[in-house]
Amino acid sequence: MRRTLLNALDRGAPLIAALLLLLIWEAACRLTKVPAYLLPTPSAIVHSAFQVPLSSWLDHTWATLRVSLQGYALAVLIGIPLAVALANSRLLSRALYPQLVIIQSTPIVAVAPIIVVVLGAGDAPRVVITFLITFFPIVVSTVTGLLATPPAMMELSRSLGAGRLRAVRDIQLPFAVPYIFSALRISVTLAIIGAVVAEFVAAENGLGFFIAFSTSFFKVPQAFAALVVLVSLSLALFQLVALTQRLLFPWSLPKTEQ
Amino acid sequence: MSTRLEPGGERPAIRFDRVGQVFTSSDGSRVTALDDVSFTLRRHEFVAVIGPSGCGKSTLLRIIAGLVKPTHGQAEIYGLPVAGPREEVGIVFQQPTLLPWLRVRDNVTFPMKHKHGRVSATEKARAEELLEMVGLRDFAHKRPDELSGGMQQRVGIARALLHDPDILLMDEPFSALDALTRDEMSFELLRIWAERPKTVLFITHSIPEALLLADRILVMSARPGRVREIIDVGLARPRSMQTLSEPRFHDLANQIRAQVFRPEALA
Ligand SMILES: Nc1ncnc2c1ncn2[C@@H]1O[C@H](COP(=O)(O)OP(=O)(O)O)[C@@H](O)[C@H]1O
Ligand SMILES: [Mg+2]
Repeated sequence: MRRTLLNALDRGAPLIAALLLLLIWEAACRLTKVPAYLLPTPSAIVHSAFQVPLSSWLDHTWATLRVSLQGYALAVLIGIPLAVALANSRLLSRALYPQLVIIQSTPIVAVAPIIVVVLGAGDAPRVVITFLITFFPIVVSTVTGLLATPPAMMELSRSLGAGRLRAVRDIQLPFAVPYIFSALRISVTLAIIGAVVAEFVAAENGLGFFIAFSTSFFKVPQAFAALVVLVSLSLALFQLVALTQRLLFPWSLPKTEQ
Repeated sequence: MSTRLEPGGERPAIRFDRVGQVFTSSDGSRVTALDDVSFTLRRHEFVAVIGPSGCGKSTLLRIIAGLVKPTHGQAEIYGLPVAGPREEVGIVFQQPTLLPWLRVRDNVTFPMKHKHGRVSATEKARAEELLEMVGLRDFAHKRPDELSGGMQQRVGIARALLHDPDILLMDEPFSALDALTRDEMSFELLRIWAERPKTVLFITHSIPEALLLADRILVMSARPGRVREIIDVGLARPRSMQTLSEPRFHDLANQIRAQVFRPEALA
Protein backbone atom coordinates (compact mmCIF):
# COMPACT_ATOMS: atom_id res chain seq x y z
CA MET A 1 0.00 0.00 0.00
CA ARG A 2 2.72 2.40 1.08
CA ARG A 3 4.74 1.14 -1.84
CA THR A 4 2.13 1.90 -4.49
CA LEU A 5 1.54 5.32 -3.00
CA LEU A 6 5.23 6.13 -3.13
CA ASN A 7 5.38 4.79 -6.65
CA ALA A 8 2.50 6.97 -7.81
CA LEU A 9 4.14 9.94 -6.12
CA ASP A 10 7.39 9.17 -7.91
CA ARG A 11 5.76 9.01 -11.32
CA GLY A 12 3.60 12.03 -10.73
CA ALA A 13 6.45 14.09 -9.32
CA PRO A 14 7.11 16.32 -12.35
CA LEU A 15 3.42 17.10 -12.79
CA ILE A 16 2.89 17.77 -9.09
CA ALA A 17 5.92 20.04 -8.99
CA ALA A 18 4.68 21.98 -12.02
CA LEU A 19 1.22 22.44 -10.50
CA LEU A 20 2.74 23.57 -7.24
CA LEU A 21 4.89 26.08 -9.05
CA LEU A 22 1.87 27.48 -10.88
CA LEU A 23 0.02 27.74 -7.57
CA ILE A 24 2.89 29.61 -5.98
CA TRP A 25 3.08 31.89 -9.02
CA GLU A 26 -0.65 32.59 -8.84
CA ALA A 27 -0.55 33.20 -5.08
CA ALA A 28 2.53 35.41 -5.26
CA CYS A 29 1.03 37.59 -7.99
CA ARG A 30 -2.24 38.00 -6.11
CA LEU A 31 -0.57 38.73 -2.78
CA THR A 32 1.92 41.25 -4.15
CA LYS A 33 -0.66 42.71 -6.52
CA VAL A 34 1.79 42.86 -9.42
CA PRO A 35 0.00 44.49 -12.36
CA ALA A 36 -0.96 42.01 -15.09
CA TYR A 37 1.04 43.94 -17.74
CA LEU A 38 4.20 43.18 -15.79
CA LEU A 39 3.57 39.61 -14.69
CA PRO A 40 0.16 38.07 -15.29
CA THR A 41 -1.18 35.23 -13.13
CA PRO A 42 -1.48 31.78 -14.73
CA SER A 43 -5.24 32.03 -14.56
CA ALA A 44 -5.15 35.36 -16.42
CA ILE A 45 -2.99 33.78 -19.11
CA VAL A 46 -5.45 30.92 -19.57
CA HIS A 47 -8.32 33.36 -19.62
CA SER A 48 -6.70 35.54 -22.27
CA ALA A 49 -5.88 32.50 -24.38
CA PHE A 50 -9.60 31.82 -24.73
CA GLN A 51 -10.25 35.45 -25.70
CA VAL A 52 -8.32 34.90 -28.91
CA PRO A 53 -10.32 32.97 -31.53
CA LEU A 54 -9.08 29.45 -32.27
CA SER A 55 -8.73 30.21 -35.99
CA SER A 56 -6.35 33.02 -35.12
CA TRP A 57 -4.24 30.70 -32.93
CA LEU A 58 -4.10 28.12 -35.71
CA ASP A 59 -3.15 30.81 -38.20
CA HIS A 60 -0.21 32.11 -36.18
CA THR A 61 0.95 28.63 -35.15
CA TRP A 62 0.87 27.41 -38.71
CA ALA A 63 2.82 30.43 -39.95
CA THR A 64 5.59 29.83 -37.41
CA LEU A 65 5.60 26.07 -37.96
CA ARG A 66 5.71 26.47 -41.75
CA VAL A 67 8.71 28.79 -41.66
CA SER A 68 10.54 26.70 -39.04
CA LEU A 69 10.11 23.48 -40.95
CA GLN A 70 11.12 25.00 -44.27
CA GLY A 71 14.26 26.53 -42.81
CA TYR A 72 15.05 23.34 -40.93
CA ALA A 73 14.52 21.12 -43.98
CA LEU A 74 16.75 23.40 -46.02
CA ALA A 75 19.43 23.25 -43.31
CA VAL A 76 19.29 19.44 -43.25
CA LEU A 77 19.26 19.09 -47.04
CA ILE A 78 22.22 21.43 -47.50
CA GLY A 79 24.00 20.81 -44.19
CA ILE A 80 24.44 17.04 -44.36
CA PRO A 81 25.77 16.80 -47.95
CA LEU A 82 28.04 19.77 -47.23
CA ALA A 83 29.31 17.97 -44.12
CA VAL A 84 30.04 14.86 -46.19
CA ALA A 85 31.99 16.98 -48.66
CA LEU A 86 33.90 18.79 -45.91
CA ALA A 87 34.76 15.56 -44.09
CA ASN A 88 36.09 13.96 -47.25
CA SER A 89 38.01 16.79 -48.81
CA ARG A 90 40.82 18.50 -47.00
CA LEU A 91 40.90 21.20 -49.64
CA LEU A 92 37.21 21.97 -49.35
CA SER A 93 37.28 22.00 -45.57
CA ARG A 94 40.29 24.32 -45.60
CA ALA A 95 38.53 26.60 -48.04
CA LEU A 96 35.06 26.66 -46.49
CA TYR A 97 35.50 26.15 -42.77
CA PRO A 98 36.60 29.73 -42.04
CA GLN A 99 33.55 31.04 -43.91
CA LEU A 100 31.30 28.78 -41.90
CA VAL A 101 32.83 29.97 -38.66
CA ILE A 102 32.29 33.57 -39.73
CA ILE A 103 28.64 32.86 -40.49
CA GLN A 104 28.26 31.20 -37.12
CA SER A 105 29.99 34.04 -35.28
CA THR A 106 27.67 36.59 -36.86
CA PRO A 107 24.68 37.33 -34.63
CA ILE A 108 21.92 36.34 -37.03
CA VAL A 109 19.47 38.50 -35.08
CA ALA A 110 21.50 41.52 -36.12
CA VAL A 111 21.58 40.47 -39.75
CA ALA A 112 17.87 39.66 -39.85
CA PRO A 113 16.73 43.20 -40.74
CA ILE A 114 19.20 43.30 -43.62
CA ILE A 115 17.97 39.96 -44.91
CA VAL A 116 14.41 41.25 -44.79
CA VAL A 117 15.38 44.33 -46.76
CA VAL A 118 17.17 42.24 -49.36
CA LEU A 119 14.56 39.51 -49.73
CA GLY A 120 11.44 41.60 -49.23
CA ALA A 121 8.22 40.45 -47.60
CA GLY A 122 6.81 36.96 -47.45
CA ASP A 123 8.18 33.69 -46.16
CA ALA A 124 11.51 33.81 -48.01
CA PRO A 125 13.48 36.07 -45.62
CA ARG A 126 12.10 34.22 -42.59
CA VAL A 127 13.04 30.84 -44.03
CA VAL A 128 16.54 32.12 -44.77
CA ILE A 129 16.97 33.45 -41.23
CA THR A 130 15.78 30.13 -39.78
CA PHE A 131 18.12 28.28 -42.11
CA LEU A 132 21.11 30.37 -41.03
CA ILE A 133 20.44 29.67 -37.36
CA THR A 134 19.88 25.91 -37.70
CA PHE A 135 22.40 25.05 -40.35
CA PHE A 136 25.67 25.42 -38.49
CA PRO A 137 25.12 22.91 -35.66
CA ILE A 138 24.03 20.34 -38.23
CA VAL A 139 27.17 20.78 -40.33
CA VAL A 140 29.55 20.78 -37.37
CA SER A 141 28.02 17.78 -35.64
CA THR A 142 27.79 15.76 -38.85
CA VAL A 143 31.40 16.51 -39.77
CA THR A 144 32.47 15.49 -36.26
CA GLY A 145 30.58 12.21 -36.57
CA LEU A 146 31.92 11.42 -40.03
CA LEU A 147 35.49 12.11 -38.95
CA ALA A 148 35.06 10.03 -35.80
CA THR A 149 34.60 6.89 -37.92
CA PRO A 150 37.21 4.42 -36.63
CA PRO A 151 40.09 4.07 -39.12
CA ALA A 152 39.72 0.29 -38.83
CA MET A 153 36.24 0.53 -40.36
CA MET A 154 37.54 2.64 -43.21
CA GLU A 155 40.31 0.12 -43.72
CA LEU A 156 37.74 -2.67 -43.89
CA SER A 157 36.02 -0.75 -46.66
CA ARG A 158 39.28 -0.16 -48.48
CA SER A 159 40.26 -3.83 -48.20
CA LEU A 160 37.04 -4.70 -50.01
CA GLY A 161 38.00 -2.41 -52.87
CA ALA A 162 34.77 -0.44 -52.61
CA GLY A 163 34.83 3.18 -53.73
CA ARG A 164 34.85 6.31 -51.63
CA LEU A 165 31.14 6.96 -52.17
CA ARG A 166 30.25 3.50 -50.90
CA ALA A 167 32.43 4.04 -47.84
CA VAL A 168 30.49 7.23 -47.10
CA ARG A 169 27.13 5.54 -47.60
CA ASP A 170 27.79 2.21 -45.86
CA ILE A 171 30.20 3.23 -43.13
CA GLN A 172 30.71 6.94 -42.46
CA LEU A 173 27.09 8.06 -42.55
CA PRO A 174 25.70 5.20 -40.43
CA PHE A 175 28.51 5.78 -37.97
CA ALA A 176 27.60 9.47 -37.78
CA VAL A 177 23.88 8.85 -37.16
CA PRO A 178 24.03 9.48 -33.39
CA TYR A 179 25.94 12.72 -34.02
CA ILE A 180 23.52 13.79 -36.75
CA PHE A 181 20.51 13.18 -34.55
CA SER A 182 21.91 15.07 -31.61
CA ALA A 183 22.27 18.02 -33.99
CA LEU A 184 18.80 17.47 -35.46
CA ARG A 185 17.26 17.60 -31.99
CA ILE A 186 19.01 20.83 -31.08
CA SER A 187 18.38 22.39 -34.48
CA VAL A 188 14.67 21.76 -34.50
CA THR A 189 14.27 23.94 -31.41
CA LEU A 190 16.64 26.49 -32.94
CA ALA A 191 14.38 26.50 -35.98
CA ILE A 192 11.51 27.78 -33.84
CA ILE A 193 13.80 30.46 -32.41
CA GLY A 194 14.84 31.40 -35.93
CA ALA A 195 11.27 31.76 -37.11
CA VAL A 196 10.32 33.87 -34.08
CA VAL A 197 13.31 36.16 -34.51
CA ALA A 198 12.37 36.64 -38.15
CA GLU A 199 8.80 37.42 -37.17
CA PHE A 200 9.99 40.03 -34.68
CA VAL A 201 11.72 41.82 -37.53
CA ALA A 202 9.04 41.70 -40.18
CA ALA A 203 5.89 39.67 -40.39
CA GLU A 204 2.15 39.99 -40.41
CA ASN A 205 1.49 36.67 -38.75
CA GLY A 206 3.17 33.95 -36.69
CA LEU A 207 3.52 33.46 -32.94
CA GLY A 208 6.56 35.73 -32.74
CA PHE A 209 4.65 38.46 -34.51
CA PHE A 210 1.69 37.83 -32.19
CA ILE A 211 3.89 38.23 -29.09
CA ALA A 212 5.38 41.48 -30.41
CA PHE A 213 1.90 42.71 -31.36
CA SER A 214 0.37 41.76 -27.97
CA THR A 215 3.09 43.38 -25.88
CA SER A 216 2.93 46.59 -27.90
CA PHE A 217 -0.70 46.85 -26.78
CA PHE A 218 0.22 45.81 -23.21
CA LYS A 219 -1.71 42.57 -23.64
CA VAL A 220 0.93 40.76 -21.65
CA PRO A 221 -1.22 37.76 -20.61
CA GLN A 222 -1.91 37.15 -24.30
CA ALA A 223 1.82 37.29 -25.06
CA PHE A 224 2.40 34.73 -22.33
CA ALA A 225 -0.26 32.49 -23.84
CA ALA A 226 1.55 32.65 -27.19
CA LEU A 227 4.77 31.81 -25.39
CA VAL A 228 3.15 28.69 -23.95
CA VAL A 229 2.10 27.64 -27.45
CA LEU A 230 5.65 28.25 -28.72
CA VAL A 231 7.20 26.15 -25.97
CA SER A 232 4.71 23.36 -26.64
CA LEU A 233 5.49 23.48 -30.35
CA SER A 234 9.21 23.34 -29.67
CA LEU A 235 8.84 20.40 -27.28
CA ALA A 236 6.60 18.53 -29.71
CA LEU A 237 9.09 18.91 -32.55
CA PHE A 238 11.98 17.87 -30.30
CA GLN A 239 10.08 14.74 -29.28
CA LEU A 240 9.18 14.04 -32.90
CA VAL A 241 12.85 14.02 -33.89
CA ALA A 242 13.68 11.81 -30.91
CA LEU A 243 10.87 9.44 -31.87
CA THR A 244 12.10 9.30 -35.47
CA GLN A 245 15.52 8.26 -34.23
CA ARG A 246 14.01 5.64 -31.91
CA LEU A 247 11.92 4.16 -34.72
CA LEU A 248 14.39 4.29 -37.60
CA PHE A 249 17.76 3.94 -35.86
CA PRO A 250 17.20 2.22 -32.51
CA TRP A 251 20.81 1.00 -32.46
CA SER A 252 22.06 4.59 -32.45
CA LEU A 253 20.61 5.30 -29.00
CA PRO A 254 22.64 4.86 -25.84
CA LYS A 255 22.17 1.38 -24.37
CA THR A 256 19.96 2.63 -21.53
CA GLU A 257 17.44 4.16 -23.93
CA GLN A 258 17.06 1.30 -26.40
CA MET B 1 40.05 -1.81 -57.78
CA SER B 2 40.13 -5.51 -57.22
CA THR B 3 40.78 -8.08 -59.88
CA ARG B 4 40.45 -11.82 -59.77
CA LEU B 5 43.26 -13.69 -61.43
CA GLU B 6 43.47 -17.32 -62.31
CA PRO B 7 45.91 -18.62 -59.75
CA GLY B 8 49.08 -19.32 -61.67
CA GLY B 9 50.20 -22.95 -61.63
CA GLU B 10 53.73 -22.91 -60.26
CA ARG B 11 53.81 -19.30 -59.22
CA PRO B 12 54.07 -18.71 -55.50
CA ALA B 13 50.84 -17.41 -53.99
CA ILE B 14 52.65 -14.68 -52.11
CA ARG B 15 56.19 -13.47 -52.57
CA PHE B 16 58.08 -10.77 -50.67
CA ASP B 17 61.25 -9.57 -52.31
CA ARG B 18 63.37 -7.47 -49.94
CA VAL B 19 60.33 -5.63 -48.66
CA GLY B 20 60.92 -2.70 -46.34
CA GLN B 21 58.46 -0.37 -44.72
CA VAL B 22 59.46 2.92 -43.15
CA PHE B 23 56.71 5.01 -41.58
CA THR B 24 57.24 8.73 -41.24
CA SER B 25 55.06 10.24 -38.58
CA SER B 26 53.75 13.80 -38.69
CA ASP B 27 56.56 15.03 -36.43
CA GLY B 28 59.09 13.76 -38.95
CA SER B 29 60.37 10.84 -36.90
CA ARG B 30 60.79 7.57 -38.79
CA VAL B 31 59.95 4.04 -37.75
CA THR B 32 61.30 1.09 -39.67
CA ALA B 33 58.48 -1.43 -39.34
CA LEU B 34 59.92 -3.97 -41.79
CA ASP B 35 63.46 -4.33 -43.04
CA ASP B 36 64.57 -6.46 -45.96
CA VAL B 37 61.86 -9.08 -45.62
CA SER B 38 61.90 -11.88 -48.20
CA PHE B 39 59.87 -15.07 -48.24
CA THR B 40 57.46 -16.99 -50.43
CA LEU B 41 54.24 -18.79 -49.68
CA ARG B 42 53.39 -21.71 -51.92
CA ARG B 43 49.85 -22.01 -53.10
CA HIS B 44 47.59 -23.49 -50.40
CA GLU B 45 50.32 -23.44 -47.83
CA PHE B 46 49.52 -22.59 -44.22
CA VAL B 47 52.14 -20.26 -42.80
CA ALA B 48 52.16 -18.79 -39.32
CA VAL B 49 53.98 -15.56 -38.50
CA ILE B 50 55.25 -15.18 -34.98
CA GLY B 51 57.18 -12.36 -33.38
CA PRO B 52 57.14 -9.82 -30.57
CA SER B 53 54.56 -7.05 -30.57
CA GLY B 54 55.43 -4.11 -32.77
CA CYS B 55 57.77 -6.11 -35.00
CA GLY B 56 55.69 -5.35 -38.08
CA LYS B 57 53.42 -8.38 -38.39
CA SER B 58 50.28 -6.35 -39.04
CA THR B 59 52.19 -4.15 -41.46
CA LEU B 60 53.29 -7.24 -43.37
CA LEU B 61 49.67 -8.34 -43.61
CA ARG B 62 48.54 -4.90 -44.74
CA ILE B 63 51.11 -4.95 -47.52
CA ILE B 64 49.80 -8.26 -48.84
CA ALA B 65 46.25 -6.96 -48.51
CA GLY B 66 47.19 -3.98 -50.69
CA LEU B 67 46.34 -1.51 -47.92
CA VAL B 68 49.91 -0.26 -47.54
CA LYS B 69 52.39 0.19 -50.35
CA PRO B 70 55.84 -0.87 -49.17
CA THR B 71 58.52 1.81 -49.23
CA HIS B 72 61.18 -0.69 -50.38
CA GLY B 73 61.18 -3.88 -52.41
CA GLN B 74 58.21 -5.62 -53.90
CA ALA B 75 55.28 -7.75 -52.76
CA GLU B 76 53.64 -10.07 -55.27
CA ILE B 77 50.53 -12.18 -55.41
CA TYR B 78 50.58 -14.91 -58.05
CA GLY B 79 53.62 -13.24 -59.58
CA LEU B 80 52.05 -9.81 -59.96
CA PRO B 81 52.98 -6.80 -57.85
CA VAL B 82 50.30 -5.93 -55.32
CA ALA B 83 48.75 -2.70 -56.52
CA GLY B 84 45.74 -2.58 -54.23
CA PRO B 85 43.13 -4.73 -52.50
CA ARG B 86 42.24 -7.85 -54.45
CA GLU B 87 39.15 -9.95 -54.72
CA GLU B 88 40.79 -13.30 -53.89
CA VAL B 89 42.08 -12.09 -50.53
CA GLY B 90 40.07 -12.42 -47.32
CA ILE B 91 41.18 -10.63 -44.16
CA VAL B 92 40.50 -11.22 -40.48
CA PHE B 93 41.63 -8.05 -38.73
CA GLN B 94 43.29 -7.89 -35.35
CA GLN B 95 40.21 -6.01 -34.05
CA PRO B 96 36.93 -7.66 -35.10
CA THR B 97 35.85 -4.37 -36.76
CA LEU B 98 32.17 -5.21 -36.94
CA LEU B 99 29.67 -2.55 -37.85
CA PRO B 100 27.51 -1.91 -34.78
CA TRP B 101 24.45 -0.86 -36.79
CA LEU B 102 24.25 -4.16 -38.65
CA ARG B 103 22.98 -7.42 -37.25
CA VAL B 104 25.47 -10.25 -37.03
CA ARG B 105 24.23 -11.90 -40.25
CA ASP B 106 24.41 -8.61 -42.13
CA ASN B 107 27.93 -8.07 -40.86
CA VAL B 108 28.87 -11.42 -42.40
CA THR B 109 27.37 -10.49 -45.76
CA PHE B 110 28.64 -6.91 -45.56
CA PRO B 111 31.52 -7.43 -48.03
CA MET B 112 29.05 -8.35 -50.79
CA LYS B 113 26.64 -5.58 -49.91
CA HIS B 114 29.48 -3.08 -49.82
CA LYS B 115 31.12 -4.14 -53.06
CA HIS B 116 28.12 -4.99 -55.18
CA GLY B 117 25.29 -3.16 -53.46
CA ARG B 118 23.31 -6.36 -53.00
CA VAL B 119 23.54 -9.79 -51.41
CA SER B 120 22.39 -12.88 -53.34
CA ALA B 121 20.29 -15.64 -51.77
CA THR B 122 23.24 -18.04 -52.10
CA GLU B 123 25.46 -15.66 -50.15
CA LYS B 124 22.80 -15.24 -47.48
CA ALA B 125 22.55 -19.01 -47.11
CA ARG B 126 26.31 -19.28 -46.97
CA ALA B 127 26.44 -16.66 -44.23
CA GLU B 128 24.06 -18.76 -42.13
CA GLU B 129 26.24 -21.83 -42.73
CA LEU B 130 29.36 -19.95 -41.69
CA LEU B 131 27.67 -18.64 -38.57
CA GLU B 132 26.65 -22.18 -37.70
CA MET B 133 30.25 -23.25 -38.25
CA VAL B 134 31.66 -20.63 -35.87
CA GLY B 135 28.99 -21.57 -33.34
CA LEU B 136 26.92 -18.42 -33.61
CA ARG B 137 23.79 -19.63 -35.39
CA ASP B 138 21.59 -18.43 -32.54
CA PHE B 139 23.17 -14.99 -32.61
CA ALA B 140 22.57 -14.20 -36.28
CA HIS B 141 19.91 -11.61 -35.48
CA LYS B 142 21.84 -9.92 -32.66
CA ARG B 143 23.83 -6.73 -32.85
CA PRO B 144 27.60 -6.96 -32.38
CA ASP B 145 27.57 -5.15 -29.03
CA GLU B 146 25.43 -7.94 -27.60
CA LEU B 147 28.30 -10.38 -28.26
CA SER B 148 31.46 -11.06 -26.29
CA GLY B 149 34.85 -10.11 -27.77
CA GLY B 150 35.53 -13.71 -28.72
CA MET B 151 32.17 -14.06 -30.44
CA GLN B 152 32.75 -10.83 -32.35
CA GLN B 153 36.07 -12.15 -33.59
CA ARG B 154 34.31 -15.31 -34.82
CA VAL B 155 31.85 -13.14 -36.77
CA GLY B 156 34.90 -11.47 -38.32
CA ILE B 157 36.21 -14.87 -39.35
CA ALA B 158 32.87 -15.84 -40.92
CA ARG B 159 32.87 -12.54 -42.80
CA ALA B 160 36.36 -13.15 -44.21
CA LEU B 161 35.32 -16.62 -45.40
CA LEU B 162 32.12 -15.51 -47.11
CA HIS B 163 33.53 -15.25 -50.62
CA ASP B 164 35.69 -18.35 -50.09
CA PRO B 165 38.93 -16.44 -50.62
CA ASP B 166 41.89 -18.20 -52.16
CA ILE B 167 44.22 -16.30 -49.85
CA LEU B 168 43.26 -15.84 -46.23
CA LEU B 169 45.13 -13.32 -44.08
CA MET B 170 44.50 -13.58 -40.35
CA ASP B 171 45.88 -11.12 -37.82
CA GLU B 172 45.92 -12.71 -34.36
CA PRO B 173 42.38 -13.89 -34.95
CA PHE B 174 42.11 -16.03 -31.83
CA SER B 175 43.81 -13.70 -29.35
CA ALA B 176 40.48 -12.58 -27.87
CA LEU B 177 39.24 -16.15 -27.38
CA ASP B 178 39.49 -18.21 -24.22
CA ALA B 179 41.83 -21.21 -24.35
CA LEU B 180 39.10 -23.78 -24.98
CA THR B 181 37.36 -21.90 -27.77
CA ARG B 182 40.76 -21.18 -29.19
CA ASP B 183 41.62 -24.87 -29.60
CA GLU B 184 38.17 -25.55 -30.97
CA MET B 185 38.50 -22.73 -33.52
CA SER B 186 41.98 -23.90 -34.49
CA PHE B 187 40.70 -27.34 -35.44
CA GLU B 188 37.71 -25.77 -37.18
CA LEU B 189 40.07 -23.61 -39.23
CA LEU B 190 42.15 -26.66 -40.15
CA ARG B 191 38.98 -28.46 -41.23
CA ILE B 192 37.95 -25.53 -43.46
CA TRP B 193 41.43 -25.32 -44.89
CA ALA B 194 41.50 -29.06 -45.67
CA GLU B 195 38.03 -28.94 -47.20
CA ARG B 196 38.56 -25.83 -49.31
CA PRO B 197 42.31 -25.46 -49.71
CA LYS B 198 43.60 -21.91 -49.50
CA THR B 199 46.82 -20.09 -48.84
CA VAL B 200 46.75 -18.93 -45.24
CA LEU B 201 48.97 -16.38 -43.55
CA PHE B 202 48.23 -16.57 -39.86
CA ILE B 203 49.71 -14.06 -37.41
CA THR B 204 49.87 -15.19 -33.81
CA HIS B 205 51.55 -14.64 -30.48
CA SER B 206 51.15 -18.23 -29.46
CA ILE B 207 53.87 -20.74 -30.28
CA PRO B 208 51.65 -23.81 -29.67
CA GLU B 209 48.97 -22.33 -31.90
CA ALA B 210 51.47 -21.72 -34.70
CA LEU B 211 52.79 -25.28 -34.39
CA LEU B 212 49.35 -26.82 -34.32
CA LEU B 213 48.20 -25.00 -37.45
CA ALA B 214 51.05 -24.24 -39.79
CA ASP B 215 53.19 -25.96 -42.41
CA ARG B 216 55.90 -23.41 -41.82
CA ILE B 217 56.51 -20.74 -39.23
CA LEU B 218 58.05 -17.40 -40.04
CA VAL B 219 59.83 -16.16 -36.91
CA MET B 220 60.35 -12.40 -36.85
CA SER B 221 62.73 -10.32 -34.79
CA ALA B 222 61.83 -7.16 -32.92
CA ARG B 223 62.24 -3.70 -34.45
CA PRO B 224 63.15 -3.38 -37.15
CA GLY B 225 61.05 -6.36 -38.21
CA ARG B 226 63.17 -8.92 -40.00
CA VAL B 227 62.67 -12.58 -40.79
CA ARG B 228 64.82 -14.36 -38.29
CA GLU B 229 64.09 -17.90 -39.37
CA ILE B 230 61.57 -19.92 -41.31
CA ILE B 231 60.83 -23.21 -39.59
CA ASP B 232 59.41 -26.32 -41.26
CA VAL B 233 56.90 -27.73 -38.84
CA GLY B 234 56.69 -31.18 -40.39
CA LEU B 235 54.12 -32.53 -37.95
CA ALA B 236 51.81 -35.10 -39.49
CA ARG B 237 48.37 -34.03 -40.72
CA PRO B 238 45.57 -34.11 -39.87
CA ARG B 239 46.61 -32.53 -36.63
CA SER B 240 44.69 -33.33 -33.49
CA MET B 241 44.95 -33.07 -29.73
CA GLN B 242 47.56 -35.84 -29.97
CA THR B 243 49.78 -33.52 -31.98
CA LEU B 244 50.19 -31.41 -28.86
CA SER B 245 51.92 -34.27 -27.02
CA GLU B 246 54.33 -35.33 -29.78
CA PRO B 247 58.01 -34.97 -28.86
CA ARG B 248 58.67 -32.98 -32.05
CA PHE B 249 56.00 -30.49 -30.99
CA HIS B 250 57.89 -29.78 -27.78
CA ASP B 251 61.29 -29.66 -29.43
CA LEU B 252 60.05 -27.12 -31.97
CA ALA B 253 58.28 -25.10 -29.31
CA ASN B 254 61.52 -24.82 -27.36
CA GLN B 255 63.49 -23.98 -30.48
CA ILE B 256 61.13 -21.17 -31.42
CA ARG B 257 60.97 -19.86 -27.88
CA ALA B 258 64.75 -19.61 -27.90
CA GLN B 259 64.57 -17.76 -31.24
CA VAL B 260 61.95 -15.29 -30.12
CA PHE B 261 63.78 -14.46 -26.90
CA ARG B 262 67.30 -14.50 -28.35
CA PRO B 263 68.93 -11.13 -27.73
CA GLU B 264 69.12 -8.92 -30.81
CA ALA B 265 72.93 -8.62 -30.59
CA LEU B 266 73.36 -12.30 -31.33
CA ALA B 267 70.94 -12.38 -34.22
N1 LIG C 1 50.35 3.75 -40.17
C1 LIG C 1 51.43 3.79 -39.38
N2 LIG C 1 52.09 4.96 -39.18
C2 LIG C 1 53.19 5.03 -38.40
N3 LIG C 1 53.71 3.98 -37.75
C3 LIG C 1 53.11 2.78 -37.90
C4 LIG C 1 51.93 2.63 -38.70
N4 LIG C 1 51.54 1.32 -38.66
C5 LIG C 1 52.44 0.70 -37.86
N5 LIG C 1 53.38 1.57 -37.40
C6 LIG C 1 54.53 1.22 -36.55
O1 LIG C 1 55.19 0.14 -37.12
C7 LIG C 1 55.59 -0.80 -36.16
C8 LIG C 1 55.01 -2.16 -36.46
O2 LIG C 1 53.63 -2.13 -36.25
P1 LIG C 1 52.70 -3.41 -36.49
O3 LIG C 1 52.87 -3.87 -37.87
O4 LIG C 1 51.32 -3.06 -36.07
O5 LIG C 1 53.31 -4.48 -35.47
P2 LIG C 1 52.72 -5.84 -34.87
O6 LIG C 1 51.48 -6.16 -35.62
O7 LIG C 1 53.79 -6.84 -35.05
O8 LIG C 1 52.46 -5.60 -33.42
C9 LIG C 1 55.16 -0.24 -34.83
O9 LIG C 1 56.26 0.43 -34.24
C10 LIG C 1 54.09 0.74 -35.18
O10 LIG C 1 54.03 1.78 -34.25
MG1 LIG D 1 49.53 -6.40 -34.98
